[in-house]
Amino acid sequence: MTRSRTLSPAARRVLAALVEAGTSGRHGYDLCREAQIKSGTLYPLLIRLEAQGYLAADWQIADAPGRPPRHVYRLTAAGFRLADENPLPAGRADEAPQGGLV
Amino acid sequence: MSAVVELIFRLIPRLLPPSLQSWGEAAIREARSATRPGDALPFALGCLSWAVGESIRFRFSKLKQQGEEPVNLIDRIGPRSVAVSCGVGATGLGLIYMSAGGAPAHYLMINLAALAFGLVTLGILVLADRRGHLPAGPLSLLLGLVLLAVSLWGVSAGGVTRWVALGPLVIQPGMMVVPLMAVLFARSRDALSLAGIAVAALALALQPDRGMAAALAVGMTVIAFTRPDRRTIGAAAAAVPGFAAAMAQADPSPAMPFVDQILYSAFAVHPLAGAAVVLGAVLLVLPALAARRLTGIDQSACVVFGAVWAAIIAAAALGNYPTPLVGYGGSAIVGYMLGLVVFPRRAPEVGRSPVEATSEPDVDRPLLYAGQP
Repeated sequence: MTRSRTLSPAARRVLAALVEAGTSGRHGYDLCREAQIKSGTLYPLLIRLEAQGYLAADWQIADAPGRPPRHVYRLTAAGFRLADENPLPAGRADEAPQGGLV
Repeated sequence: MSAVVELIFRLIPRLLPPSLQSWGEAAIREARSATRPGDALPFALGCLSWAVGESIRFRFSKLKQQGEEPVNLIDRIGPRSVAVSCGVGATGLGLIYMSAGGAPAHYLMINLAALAFGLVTLGILVLADRRGHLPAGPLSLLLGLVLLAVSLWGVSAGGVTRWVALGPLVIQPGMMVVPLMAVLFARSRDALSLAGIAVAALALALQPDRGMAAALAVGMTVIAFTRPDRRTIGAAAAAVPGFAAAMAQADPSPAMPFVDQILYSAFAVHPLAGAAVVLGAVLLVLPALAARRLTGIDQSACVVFGAVWAAIIAAAALGNYPTPLVGYGGSAIVGYMLGLVVFPRRAPEVGRSPVEATSEPDVDRPLLYAGQP
């Protein structure tokens, strides 16, 4: 069965944030803030994207000394294509849900 | 970082399946990196909800992989632990009954002390068995001779000689050693074990002790039917006449409060006390019934264990014989725990080949199964 590639608004916002980040990538905390989604929603989504080859997750050494490495997420070429196919709905780019990071 | 957030950070790795551990660590580090005040807790709570969901999914998928059969207690904690729990539970129910019935406090203390002693002795037996230092044949013969010595020189009451005085305590060695001898013989049917059974049958006939003679006869009959060979039939041929001889003699022992006939009298104390006694008695045979569900082990010894204790309970129901574990008497508690040495510590894994039970006895074979940790 062919899996539908229609993504949820939250997934589209995350993809948009990752497209904006480009090759430098984004951390999970930043993605939550930019896409305005809860961490409990973000991580299952990132795991699915990574498993399907749309996302690369790497440990990045922190700039500040003494800080532990953090995951940084970047779209792969397939991920950029997926983001192109699933843009933010017209007129809703700035209509991110309000609320906390939960 | 608040204590709640730190607690959540500790919970997340425990919940996540192994394949997602690195993601959990990444999420925790993100929460620690939160720059805005108050962000860490909601971020951590969101991660916790994700981890809980993943944990549930992981456990359900494991159940599916195991043939969609729910993991039962005996698989989870092991047959011996289940059996020990049944013994401890029955003893506890007995304490409830005795408390409700106004038994002297030292009755309760003695049963508790017997439970502790039985557990420690079981641990020693298991350790010795694991190291191959528990030869069934010589031990069975020794125990049979001890029983015979009790019959000849033990403490008598009303023409019955089945007790030994240890200081202020009077114990009933038959209750302690007969269940152990029966399960040892089920495991290692060698010539010395057979000799031990024959001596024990003689001793129980001499005492006389109808209850324990019945238990030995039932145990040996069960093993003769399930593993018929020259020695098992010989053991049954020794035990059954021993029981008949015990039955032929008068046993004028009166019923002792909190010891004999309590399967009936407990209900007069309180219906719940009666229910506790009956439930405790049922608990005693549950381990053998549960062991029958296990594949990959020689179940003979576990079946004999169940048969022996069922016979002891039946004797208590029919005559003035101690009601094991739920009534006052430490000998039964110790005897129950000693017999549990034959229960495997862990349920065999699917696919593990068992050590086949052979009709030929193997004197030096450890009691527990090969491959058992």
